[in-house]
Amino acid sequence: MNHIRVGRWISGGALVLLAGVYVRALAFTPIERSQGLAQKIFYVHVPAAWATMLAMGLVGIASILFLLVKDDRFDRFAESSAEVGTAFSLVMLTTGPMWGKPIWGTWWTWDARLTLTLFLFFLFIGYLLLRSAVTDAGLRARYSAVLGICGLVLLPFIHLSVYFFRTLHPQPIVLKPSAPSLPGPMLVTLLCSVTVFTLLYVGFVMQRYGIAVVRDESEPRHG
Amino acid sequence: MVDGMPDNGGYMVAAYIAAAVIVLTYAVALYRRGRRP
Amino acid sequence: MREMLLHAWLVLRKDLVLEWRARTAFLSTLVFTVLVLLVFNFGRDPTAIGPLDLAPSVLWVTFTFAAMLALNRAFQLELENQALDGLLLAPVSRHSIYLGKLGANLAFVVVVQAIALPLFALFFNVDVGRVLGPLVAVMLLATVGFVAVGTLFSVMVIRTRFAELLLPVLLLPFLIPPLIWAVMTTAKLFAGRPLSEVVGWLRLLAAYDIIFVALATVLFPVTVSE
Repeated sequence: MNHIRVGRWISGGALVLLAGVYVRALAFTPIERSQGLAQKIFYVHVPAAWATMLAMGLVGIASILFLLVKDDRFDRFAESSAEVGTAFSLVMLTTGPMWGKPIWGTWWTWDARLTLTLFLFFLFIGYLLLRSAVTDAGLRARYSAVLGICGLVLLPFIHLSVYFFRTLHPQPIVLKPSAPSLPGPMLVTLLCSVTVFTLLYVGFVMQRYGIAVVRDESEPRHG
Repeated sequence: MVDGMPDNGGYMVAAYIAAAVIVLTYAVALYRRGRRP
Repeated sequence: MREMLLHAWLVLRKDLVLEWRARTAFLSTLVFTVLVLLVFNFGRDPTAIGPLDLAPSVLWVTFTFAAMLALNRAFQLELENQALDGLLLAPVSRHSIYLGKLGANLAFVVVVQAIALPLFALFFNVDVGRVLGPLVAVMLLATVGFVAVGTLFSVMVIRTRFAELLLPVLLLPFLIPPLIWAVMTTAKLFAGRPLSEVVGWLRLLAAYDIIFVALATVLFPVTVSE
């Protein structure tokens, strides 16, 4: 299977669908009364968060599998998922504060969502930097796998530290950022967006994987 | 606009544009890297 | 198991003896620590900011930097004369090497902390004696947390470019949870809060330590296998 070609088709299709989601979210989804138009950032921020978590989780799992089985395909997948995850975490980091400022009155706050976003971003960046700093392919794969697994194990601890922090320092929440139960049309928009972002993830990872395959064919791995 | 609703459409526009820019930039970058890997 | 611990002890002793002979890293860490304490002390306005507001943060900034310097020293040591390769040829298990290095780094930082803490109490006029037990506990737990992951990563970065730059970048996300818990605990201790309020964080620190020391011990051989 030519990963790059298939990935391109999937990404292209997903981008078209994304335009559709944009139209639906902006023009055909009801406005939330108490938060105003800014609440609609929800339909971009939350799916991006989902894609980021997916990317990170799969990096961790692929890392474990790589160390167990020593199959280079897991390493290539991990590097692809990490790069795509970085892009989505960047979407989170930009849309998050833009949503926070009008709703909470502040660009940044150490709540669970934003803090976890920042950490994921640091972990992804560290992972990519590590990969670029190691020249030997075999060593690079092993080191990345170690970092990937450590990162995965770290995530629950981040959640716990934020939880304790929040119970001490009440957030400057003026309005609740997301309603506990979404009315029908809003839920549909959200689900559409999550589906599209997942498709984007798949398409991007496939392309990136294909690029890694070609790169490895020209510089065979050793060790 | 309904009365009493905050006027924060600007943030929405900015966020939607930012997300689109990031996604599209990455998509284009991948496409180009795929052509001459 | 006993043999693994014995070998770990030998590795630990080797590292510490080497450090003791040169003492350069130890002295520079100590000087840096005193410097940080002085700067923070002179930097604040004593009439506006009470020492207790800044104290926990100052203490932990100092300790974190000490840990980072210790980790840097650790791999510098191996870089010279390719000592790590020599160590790998020796008939000791990889796990022992990791545990030994962990112990050596820990000892290094703990000694620095033991000197820094009384200085801190002096400069900032904080009564640490009252809460010495829990304070030492949180210092040890958090330091183990820093050093467990740090030792693992420091061995990885030896063979990379920009090693000294890469280590802090990789380590950052892993330092923050234990650091947060440690600072919060210290703040509560200095404020005279009852122990029951900090037990939760101490448990979290202990859990973090156990999990990451175990994980690092298991993963360490991967980083040095051929």
